[in-house]
Amino acid sequence: MNVLEVKEIKKSFGSKKVLDGVSFSVPDNCIFGFIGRNGAGKTTTMRAILGLLKTDGGEINVCGERARYGCTPKSGCIGYLPDVPEFYGYMNAHEYLKLCGEISGMGSSELKTRISELLELVGLDKEKHRIKGYSRGMKQRLGIAQAMINRPKLLICDEPTSALDPVGRKDILDIISAAKEQTSVVFSTHILSDVERICSCVAFLEGGKTAFSGSLEEIRAVRGNTALELTIVEPNDIERISSAFPDGRVNDGKFILPQASEKDCADLMAFLSAQMIPIARLERREADLEDLFMEVIGK
Amino acid sequence: MKGFKVLLKKEICEIIRNKRLMILMAIFVLVGIMNPTIAKLTPKLYELMSEDFAEQGITVSAVKVTAMDSWSQFVKNVPTVLIVLLIMFSGIYTTEYSKGTLIPLLTKGLSRSSVVLSKLAVMLLVWSIGICLCFEITYFYSDFYWDNSVVSKLFFAAFCWWLFGVFMISCIVFFSSFAGSGIQVMLGTGAVYFSMTLIGMYNKAKEYLPVRITDSVSLYKGEYEPKDYFGAVIVTAMLSFVFVLVSLPITHKRQI
Ligand SMILES: Nc1ncnc2c1ncn2[C@@H]1O[C@H](COP(=O)(O)OP(=O)(O)O)[C@@H](O)[C@H]1O
Ligand SMILES: [Mg+2]
Repeated sequence: MNVLEVKEIKKSFGSKKVLDGVSFSVPDNCIFGFIGRNGAGKTTTMRAILGLLKTDGGEINVCGERARYGCTPKSGCIGYLPDVPEFYGYMNAHEYLKLCGEISGMGSSELKTRISELLELVGLDKEKHRIKGYSRGMKQRLGIAQAMINRPKLLICDEPTSALDPVGRKDILDIISAAKEQTSVVFSTHILSDVERICSCVAFLEGGKTAFSGSLEEIRAVRGNTALELTIVEPNDIERISSAFPDGRVNDGKFILPQASEKDCADLMAFLSAQMIPIARLERREADLEDLFMEVIGK
Repeated sequence: MKGFKVLLKKEICEIIRNKRLMILMAIFVLVGIMNPTIAKLTPKLYELMSEDFAEQGITVSAVKVTAMDSWSQFVKNVPTVLIVLLIMFSGIYTTEYSKGTLIPLLTKGLSRSSVVLSKLAVMLLVWSIGICLCFEITYFYSDFYWDNSVVSKLFFAAFCWWLFGVFMISCIVFFSSFAGSGIQVMLGTGAVYFSMTLIGMYNKAKEYLPVRITDSVSLYKGEYEPKDYFGAVIVTAMLSFVFVLVSLPITHKRQI
C-alpha cells in the first residue's frame, strides 16, 4: 500500500510554470527523499499535498483518499513540518504541543504521555522557556514534535536540515530515522549526504518534473558501475589524460571516469605508467547520488 | 466546535500574555473614571480662569454641572477607546496568515471557520467587558456626585454604542478575510466609517446608517426616542452579521 500517491500535478504562478507533471508514490514505512535544487518546487509540491495550495491539474491521494484544496486530508493522517516553522512565541513547548494535540482531538491523558514522550525524543524535555527565545534548531525540533503529535501515517518535512549546523543536522536525521518505526516520512532536501544516510526511496525534481524516482537500490542498480577518481600531481597532465579517455570528465582538478569497468581501470593505469604521469591518488568509488543528480540536471 | 473552544482558549492566553488585555482594560477603566472627573473639575477650571476673563471684561456666570456633562464626556471618549481597540486588533488575523503560525494547526484538521469565529469571539468579549466596565464606573460616579435621572435612556444609548463597536469589529473580520496586512484592514475599516458619515450628510438614508446610533446626546436630552433608532439598530445588526458570514467562505478560499 502507498500512503501517498502524487500523479501528474501541475502548478503555475502567473506565467511561471513551477510544477509540470510531478508524479511519485511513497510506500508504507519508508523514508522518502525528495531532492531538488533551491526553487525547484519542493515546497510547492508539499503544500499541494497538504491542501494548502490549489493545483492546476493532477491528482493526489493520501492514505487512499483524494486530497483537495482547502481541506486537510483525513485528520490524523499527515503531520507537516514547514520549511520555516513559526509558532506562538508566548507559549512554551509543552503548552504548544498541548494546543496541537487538543486540536487534533486527543484525550487529555493520552496527550500527556504523548507530549512527554515527544519532548524527550526531540530533546526539549528540560526546556522551560517560551518559544520566543528558541534557536533555529530548537524550533525545528519542536516542529517535528508537533508534526508527530497525533501519530500520523505520513510525516512531511520540508528541508528540516538545511539551516542547521552538522550536529543539529545529525540530531534531526536521527529523530527522523527513529520516527520511521511509526510512520512514513517524506523529506525534501538539497543535501545529498542526508538522503544517502537515511532514505530508502528518492525522487529527483528538476524542471518541474520528477526526473527520477525509485528506491536507493534501484538507483544503485542503474548506476551499478563504479567510477574511477584520479588525483594527479601535475595539473597540466590532466589534458593528456582527458584526450585519451574522452568518456571522463574533469571536476575540481580531479579526473573522473564514470561507469568504469575492470578493463577501463587497467587501461587507465597502463596509460599512466606508459606516459610516466605521477599521481597522488587513484580511487574507485560507488556511483553516488551526486553523480546521478548531476546527470539528471544535465551538467 | 471543539476546535473553536481550543482556539478561544489560545486567543485568551494570547491577549493576556502579550499584555493587550491589560492595556485595554486599563484604558476602559481610566476613561470610565475620567468622564465624571472632568465634569466635576469644569467649574473649578472656570473659577481659576474667571480672573483672567474678568480682566478682559468678560463675566462668567457660575457654571452648573449635572450628570449630563459627565455623560457627554462619555460619548466624547468612547470613540477614542474604540479606535484604540480596533487598532490593537487590526492585525489579529493578518499577522497569523502572513507568519504562517496557523499552518501547523490547519494541517491537523482545524477548520478555518473556527479560526475566524474564535478571534471574533475574543474581540467581542474584550469590547463587551470593556464598555460595561467603562459604563458602570461612569454611571456610579455620576450618580454619586449628581443624579443620573436627569439623563434619559442611558442604557439604550450604551447598548447602541456597544452595537456600533460590534459593527466595527465585524468590519475587521470582513477586511481581514482578504487583506494582506493589519494596515490594510485598518484602512478598510476607516473607509467604511467615513463613507457612512459622508452618505449621512447629504442623504435621507441617514436614519438607517450605523453612525446614527452613535448620536447619544439627542437621546440623553430626550430629543429622540429609542424608536427613532430602531431602523439603524436593525441595519447595524444585520450588516455585522452579513460581514461575518461573508468572511467565512472568503477565508476558506484564501491562500494561507
Ligand atoms: N506564492 C508564490 N507566488 C509566486 N511564485 C511562487 C510562489 N511560491 C513559490 N513560487 C515560485 O515557485 C518556485 C518554487 O518554489 P519552492 O517550491 O518554494 O521551491 P523549493 O522549495 O524547491 O526551494 C520558485 O521559483 C518560486 O519563485
Ligand atoms: Mg522550499
